[in-house]
This record gives sequence, structure tokens and C-alpha cells, in this order.
Amino acid sequence: MDQTRAQRRRALLAGSLIGATVVLSTLSFAASAGAQGHGTHRATTTTTTAPPRIIPPPRPPYLRANAGMAFSTLLQFNSKGQLVVYGNRYVKYYLPPDALIPIGEALYAQNCQACHGVLANGVPPPGTPGKGFPNLIGLGPATYDFWIESGRMPAASTTVTQAPRGPAKLNHMQAIAISAYLNSLQPATPYLPYVNLKGADLSDGAALFALNCAACHTITGDGDALAYKTFAPSMRNVPATQVAEALRTGPANMPVFTGNLTDRQLRDVVAYVTERIEHPQNPGGIGLGGLGPVGEGFIGLALGVGLLALLGFWVGDRT
Amino acid sequence: MTDLPEESRTPVSLTPASWNDPHMQPASAHPEHVERVIAALFAAGLVAFAAFGAAYWQNWAPWTLGATLGAGMVLVGAGLTAWGKYLMPRGPFVEDRHVLGSTPEEVEAFNNALVERGATPVRRRKLLGGLLAGGLGVFSIVALFPLVRSMGPLPGNTLQTTNWRRGSYLVDRAGRRLRASEYGVGSVVSSVFPEGFEDDEEAQATDVVILIRAAKQGLQTSGPRQTWAPAGFYAYSKMCTHAGCPVGLYEREAVLLICPCHQSMFDVADGAIPVFGPAPRPLPQLPLYIDARGFLRSQSGFGQPTGPGFWERA
Amino acid sequence: MSPLRMPTRPKKPTAGPAAKPTGPYGRFGKAVEELDERLGFAKGGRVFLDKIFPDHWSFMLGEIALYSFVVLLATGVFLTLYYIPSTGTTIYHGAYLPLRGQRVSEAYDSTVNLSFAVRGGLLMRQMHHWACDIFVGAIVIHMARVFFTGAFRKPRELNWTIGLTMLVLAILEGFIGYSLPDDLISGTGLRIAYAITLSVPVVGSYLASFLFGGPFPGNAVIPRFYTIHVLIVPAVLVGLLTFHLILLVRQKHTQFPGGGRTEHNVVGSPMFPVFMAKTTGFLFMITGVTALLGAFFQINPVWQFGQYVPYNISYAVQPDWYMGWLDGALRIMPSWEFVGFGHTIPFEVFLPAAVFPGIIFGICYLWPSIERWYTKDALTHHLLDRPRDRPKRTAAGAAMLGLLGMLFVASSTDVLANFFHLSLNSVLVAMRVLVVVTPFVAYFVTYKICGELQALPEGGKRKVVNIVSLTPEGAYVATPAPRTPGHVELEPEVVPAMIELDEPAAPPNGAAEREDAPVPARSVRTAPR
Repeated sequence: MDQTRAQRRRALLAGSLIGATVVLSTLSFAASAGAQGHGTHRATTTTTTAPPRIIPPPRPPYLRANAGMAFSTLLQFNSKGQLVVYGNRYVKYYLPPDALIPIGEALYAQNCQACHGVLANGVPPPGTPGKGFPNLIGLGPATYDFWIESGRMPAASTTVTQAPRGPAKLNHMQAIAISAYLNSLQPATPYLPYVNLKGADLSDGAALFALNCAACHTITGDGDALAYKTFAPSMRNVPATQVAEALRTGPANMPVFTGNLTDRQLRDVVAYVTERIEHPQNPGGIGLGGLGPVGEGFIGLALGVGLLALLGFWVGDRT
Repeated sequence: MTDLPEESRTPVSLTPASWNDPHMQPASAHPEHVERVIAALFAAGLVAFAAFGAAYWQNWAPWTLGATLGAGMVLVGAGLTAWGKYLMPRGPFVEDRHVLGSTPEEVEAFNNALVERGATPVRRRKLLGGLLAGGLGVFSIVALFPLVRSMGPLPGNTLQTTNWRRGSYLVDRAGRRLRASEYGVGSVVSSVFPEGFEDDEEAQATDVVILIRAAKQGLQTSGPRQTWAPAGFYAYSKMCTHAGCPVGLYEREAVLLICPCHQSMFDVADGAIPVFGPAPRPLPQLPLYIDARGFLRSQSGFGQPTGPGFWERA
Repeated sequence: MSPLRMPTRPKKPTAGPAAKPTGPYGRFGKAVEELDERLGFAKGGRVFLDKIFPDHWSFMLGEIALYSFVVLLATGVFLTLYYIPSTGTTIYHGAYLPLRGQRVSEAYDSTVNLSFAVRGGLLMRQMHHWACDIFVGAIVIHMARVFFTGAFRKPRELNWTIGLTMLVLAILEGFIGYSLPDDLISGTGLRIAYAITLSVPVVGSYLASFLFGGPFPGNAVIPRFYTIHVLIVPAVLVGLLTFHLILLVRQKHTQFPGGGRTEHNVVGSPMFPVFMAKTTGFLFMITGVTALLGAFFQINPVWQFGQYVPYNISYAVQPDWYMGWLDGALRIMPSWEFVGFGHTIPFEVFLPAAVFPGIIFGICYLWPSIERWYTKDALTHHLLDRPRDRPKRTAAGAAMLGLLGMLFVASSTDVLANFFHLSLNSVLVAMRVLVVVTPFVAYFVTYKICGELQALPEGGKRKVVNIVSLTPEGAYVATPAPRTPGHVELEPEVVPAMIELDEPAAPPNGAAEREDAPVPARSVRTAPR
């Protein structure tokens, strides 16, 4: 699968960093487990498999630990003192490598500059049709990566209300490069997330999905129309990384879930989305596109009543 | 079916029909062919039912149960229908209608029985009849108490008030107090409760609040509301003022709350005024403040009932 | 009563005096005789066996409803064995991973368990739900048939009323059953039902408190709805259904005119054996189709929706189709709330969800009276109308179906907007217009079509034969073939001989005027009434 390959490539990209941080993250397990246990739905703590609840140590009041911001169990700095990796055993956030900045700059000029402007501040060169181009300064690498890798950017049209998901126009490395360049203009979080789905709690993910996601994307993840011509996109075929990026950055009309979801909860939601929403197990038969009673009513009336009326035609007529 | 003489197309009553009568002949021109088809249907149905038994016994996938049962039923049913349709007397037969109403004599006899035998004795004993009617009347009124009144408590002021008080901490559904610094602009906490009531189902239905940190600030009109949303934190009752669905759909860029049930739209930055759809009233706003330790707390209650409208609502 | 006998085969000569007892019932003859001495069923049973059923497919629509009700009862009994009507909380420990360890109600827990842990449980639950969709749908098209052919006229007004009551109860029963699993979507439906109850002026908050046993959601509503769902409404439905069928037997079937069918007879196949075989076969086929739907189409996957909690919500939540028109009415209603004199009347809920269905069903209940008052037609009718021959009634029915159909479409504005990439707001505004306009358009279009159909040659039969001829100039001209003479006037045909009446052939005085009024000759072009 592409998605797994991309994740592997990303892992290789920062491979050395992972190796160095394994020990650190293992040591920090107890503290982080306590932090995540606190924010989890209480029902999950009653399972026999859940780790014992640990009272979290007092934290500085200004930030929630392991919730997508730089205050994390694991912090890794480079020789220049720049934060390159943060996160924990559930999600690690990587800074795109500086080596890609020149490539990214060239790609930006080629693909993005016409609308977002030379300074990436949303002011295009005079004479460009359209208006309201977003300022890209200081949004964090995850934002740039999400928009490019989900195929929404570079946009096919500058007038459409909401850019739809599509095949990516730039490859993974190009997206990383552009992210590196834009982030170099004003470094910010969130970095590029890498979710470790191993050992994810699907039950927690399902509960969090119902709480936070279903109101817009529907409980089956099929998406629906929002106000005016905006829409909550379908969550089918969204790679794990992009689900995490969307949660942490809040693209377009989507709220930002930084601070609201811990990294452990993020992992659970991503696991639920990629395992169950994108690959629904429909033990009862054809899933009817997740349209719920609309599709069911259609089948019930057309196939059920309609077919039976046709049968009744055969049964009843004798002339 | 059409090779029978024309007079057999006229309906006959059932009486004189005999086995020589064309009406009694099988409807099909080639009954033996049909019989073979029906036999095949019944045999296939038998096999399908046996397969259903096997599927149940062996606990195969759920769809195999329905497929075998359904196939068996449809096959046997089709065979049975074909039997009746093609192999049984072709008819048509006729039956007379009888006059539905009674003759005047019958009506008169009935009336006499009713009035002479029944009503007159009652009319002569007015006291007994009146007392009996009175007793039954009292019973039917009294019966309303167990039937209706005992069904639930009087509503009282449960619809009018919530559990939000001055200084209530905002907590999420796990009971964790919310800290202003944890939420960046564009964040939303979809379900927030007053501390101590996050597990109470009935309180959840009236108290629940959606907390939004909006980018647009200072758009609220003048008056006390200016201080209700510190640092852009807007807390609105999550119960739609239309039909009470949780208004959980927040559009960050449009700064709109939308009810997923009937698509009422509320302008978050302007007191959640309904801008579209059937909702009649703004979502009640919870006045917030951030205390010295950075926790989000309520200045007071909503000051009005949450949720859909009702008669006693002022 | 002159004996009506089904023909029997000529008896074969018996072997001898020592032969076994003959008679049609063989060795059971004695038992049958004994039973009849006590019950006398041979008298009444004969009438039952001889009952004539018209051979027309449209009479089968009611049977779909009847037999899907049988499927509902059978599958429903199975479900009661495993379902627990309680809101008491428990921890889910079943097979479905994404729920494991969550705190759920016993109702929800048992629903998921009977789907996954009970062998055949998922099939039974899905069959129950599909049969419900079919049940209500079949009632609706059955009633449409009765309406458009005028079968509700005297003497069948009472049966129309009973049938309509059964439709109301079926819708109610469906909604209540939908609420029982206590999943996210059914709970949302209950929340809206609570708001509707609350919206009743003056007594709303009391009604809501009594119905739910206190504030929403409370713990009373699931057990109460369970009792209503498995006992009260089914019992009333069975009673009404029995009465419906008794009236059907007493008043006998209606029938379409032609082919020896008159106001004074019923032509068709006898109950035994022809109709018995066909209808039992149909019962099997209806069960089979329901089972196939249950096998191959997933319905209401409650495990995916999760336990209902009052603060969670999913988008694209619609009720089952038969409640869709009410949901659509709630959506398109403008926000007209009355506030004054210290009170609130939430018209934006009360009008579409309480008053409007009352008006719709009220019109349906009163329709036989309305039509009788309008046409001044107090005669007994056993022959059915062709819809085109009663253009005003047909158009009115089409307008009603158009209105309800448009409201049904309005209940999925969000799905439509998403599917066709339209603005949600524009779709809703368009639906407001369409709901108002459609009934009128449907009325006039239907009225016009009825007129056109009446004007067709051969009384409106679809097959118009054109004769194509070559003109001397070399052009082709198509001219309709001349009408067949027999089709211009549809006189009631004389019933063939061999009819023996229970009563004297000439009814006593008075009855002739009341019941046997001459049937007016029907011309092809009937003046619209």
C-alpha cells in the first residue's frame, strides 16, 4: 500500500532519530501512560486489558502534555538547538529536513506562488484573478503536507468554494520539500505526524469518533453537505497520516483538535478511521453506502415492496 | 389456456360444476409440463431448506442463513402459487352478493327488543340508572390518576433551569477541567458539562455546552455579552432550540454552528443568532471567565431555559 | 339454504362389504363428524371455502401487508427472547471490537449481542426491520389502490377507517421499535419526539414528563416503549386486522366491471382450493423475499452507531422512510415561534409535527364523507372505478401523494445537496417552494391526463392501432383504426344462469331501492364528477 510505503519512507527519513529516541520513549512510558489514561473515556478503563490507571503527576498549567503541541514526552533537538522531533510512543512529529528547503523553494515558485504570493502571505502578484488566498506563514509543516498530499493543492480552480480531495499532484518528497521551505519562513508546530497504530484501542477510537467527528462526517464517515456549498468530505481512502494531520491542523472548516485530543486518543481515532470507517465490516450484507435510512427506505420500497408487487401481479392475475 | 370453448369463459357458480365442466379444468393447457416445473421448484426448495439447516448447525456466515431460508421460501412459495394458478380449476366462478342491510321487519324486531326489553326498565328506575352512571363517571375520572398522573412527576422547573452556577468549572466528559491555554484558535470541545454533572444523563441533556475558540473576536454587539467570551471562548448550549438535537457541527472558517438534524444555522460570533433553518431562537450563551489559574469557569447560569420551546417558557 | 357442493369425483365402486369406511375423510371421518356435532363448522365452513376472490393483481397488495405482518410477528417473537428493555448500564464485552469496554445500556448491549452472539439473530433482526419497511409500504400502496378505484365508498367506509387506523398504528409501531435499540440514531429520534411532545400548547411539558417518566431521557421510556411495541399496539393491530378481514368476508370483495362482473355478484376463484394455494404460496414468497433482503442488505447497523448519549450526534440522521415526511416538514418549516403573555408556543415544531399530520390523517379519515357529500352519491358500490373516470378524486389523491412525496424528499436535503454538489441552503429553499407547488401541479397534470385517457379510443386502452396508408402524393398517413363497437358502451352484463340466492330473488319492499339501485350505464366518456 502507498500509505504504508509513505510511512516507511518517512520513518527512514528520520530513521536515525528514531533509533536514538527509542530508549528515551521507553523510559517515559509510565509518565505518558498516566497522562493519556486521564483523558480517556472512563468506560475503556474498565476493560481487563487496559493498563492500570496512574494518577498523573502535576503539570505546569500552561499546556496539556502529549496533545499535539511541543510539550511532549519526547523532545529531540539538533545541533543548532532546533526542535526536530517531538511526541511519544503513540505519535511522533518530525520536522522536515532542512536539506530539502532549496528544492521546496523551487517547487513553491513553480506550483504555489501564483496565488499565495512570493512571500507566501496570501498576496498574489497584481492581476491574479480571484481573491481570498490564504496566508501560509506560520501554519506548521503538517498543514502544508496535508493540503498537498490530499491532492487539494495546487488547486485546479481558484473559484471553487471548497477544494475536493483528489489524486496528489506532487509526490510525497515534493510535499515534504515544500513543507520544509514554508516552515523555514517561520517555524511552527505541528510537525509532520507519524502515528504508531500498533496496540491502538478501537473502542476508545469509536467513542471519540462519535463524540468529535460524527456530527459533520456522519457516524459512518461518508461526509455530508454543510452550509452553503461547503461539505464535510467522505473519510474513505484517507491515509492515516492525513487523518492525523487534519485533526492537528483543522483544514478549512474543520476545527482544530490540538489540545482536545491527546496523542494516544489521536492514535485511537486514526486507528478507528483507517480500520473501521475506511474498511467497514458489514456483517449484515451490503452496506448501502452508509446513507442510513435513506438508502434503506429506497431498498425497502423498490426491492421489497416493488418486487413483491410484481410477484403479486403474477399471483393475482388469472385472466 | 385458450383452447377451451368460448362458453367456458363465462363465470359459473360453484353449484353445477362437475369434473366434465370446462371451468373445473386446470388453467394450464399443458398441466403435465407445469407439474414438472412445480416438482422441480419444490425439490429445489427442499434442498434449500436442508441447506438452511446445515448453515444453522454449522454456524456459517449470517448471509448463508438468510440466503438459504429465503431461497427455500421463494421456491416453495412459487411452486405452491403455480399449483393454484395453473393446475387448479380455471373458473371463473361467480358468487352472489346478498343484501347487506336488514329488512324493515328485522329492523323493527331489533328495535323492539332493544327498547322494550332493555331501555324501558332503565327508564322506569331513573334513580338506579343515574347512580350507576354517576359511579362509572367518577371511576373514569379517578382512573386517570393511575393511568396518567402516575406516569411521571410534574415537570416543575426541570425545564427552566440547568446545573450551571456562578463559578462552575467547565469539564469535558471525562470530568477534566478545561484550561484556556490548552486550546488554540479554531479549537472546539464538543461536549462540556458543569463539574460534577458529567455523568448525570438528565443533566447532560439540559446542561451540555459546546465550547468554541473562534478566530473572529469582538464582533458581538455591545452590552454585557462583550465580557462573556474571554479570549474568544464561546460557550453555547448544545441543545438546539428547534427540536433539541445536539448542535455538534461547527464550521471553523464560516464560524457557524449547524444542527445536524434539521440544518438550523447559528452565527457563533454574534450570539448564536439563527441565520437559517427552522430554529426560532439563539442558542443560550454561557457567560465565561478565566480564573487566576487559567481554568474556564462560568460567570453564571444561562439565565433562560435551554433546548426546544414549550408553553411555560417565558 | 340450498346446498352448494364442490363437485366430487364419481365414487369408485367399493371392494365389498368388509371394505374400510369410505367418505371423503377416510379414517378421520369419525373425528370430523364428532367435531361437527359440537361445533357445526360444516355450515359456516362451506361459506368460507366458497368465498370468491377476484382475479386481479391489485387485490394482492393488501396481502403483502398482511403477510409481512405475519413475518413481523414471527421474527419479533424471536427478538423478544434476547432483547432486554432496560436502560441499566453495563459494560459491553461482546464480539464487536470497537465497542468492547464501553459503558452501554442493557437495551443496546442486548441488541448488539443478539446480532452477533445469537445464531441467526442478525438475520432475524434485519428481517424484522425489512418486514417493517415493507409492511408500511404495502399498506400505503394498498390504500392507494382502494382510494383510486373508489373501493372505500359505501358500504366499505368503516373498513377504510379501520385500515387507516392500522396505518397510523403501523407508523407508530415502527417508530417505537426503531427507538428500542437505544443507539445513537434512535435516541436522536426520541429526543425529537420529546421536543414534539413538549411543543403542545398548555399541556406539553406535562405530557412529555408523563410519557418519559420525568425529564429526558430518563429510564422509563425504553421499558414503556417495549410494552407498547410488543403488547399493546400488536394486540390492537391483530384485533383491527381480524375485524378488517371479517368485514371483507361479510361485505365481499369489490371488483372491476366487465366480463360478467356486476354489482350483484363476485367473479373469481374460490377460496378453496385455488386461492388458498396461491395465497399460501404468496406468504412463502413474501417471507422468502424478506429473508433475502435480510441476508444481503444490511439495515440499521446499531453496532456502528454506538450507545445513545444525549450529547452525541451524527450527521445525515434520518428516520425510517415512513416518518420521513414528518422530518421533511420539520426541516422546511420557517422559524415561527409565538412568544407573548409570558408563554411560548413553538409553532415551528407544533405545526409541522403535530398539527400537520393530524390534518393529513384527518382528511384521509373524512374522505369517504367528503366525497359522498360532494358527489351526492349515496348508493352502494361494489364495482370499482377506473381512476381516469373519476378525475377529480384521482387528481386529489395525486396531489396528496405529491405533497407527502415532496416532504419525504425534503427530509434528505443534506444528502441531496451532498450528492449533487449543491448548496444546502438553496436545496432547502427549493424544497420549500416545491412542497407548496407540487400538489397543485400534480392535481392539474393528473386531471389533464385523466381527461386525455378518457378521450382515447377504445375507452382508453393503450393499444391504438394505426392504419398507415400511402397517399397519391406519395406521403404516408397514419389514421387510427375504427373503434371496436363493443367497447363504446360498457353495459352491466347479465349474469349467467345457475344462481341460487339465499333470499327470494326479488328482495322485499324497500330493499330494492336501497341496495339494488340500477347501475348507471357507464359510457367511456364520463363527465367529471
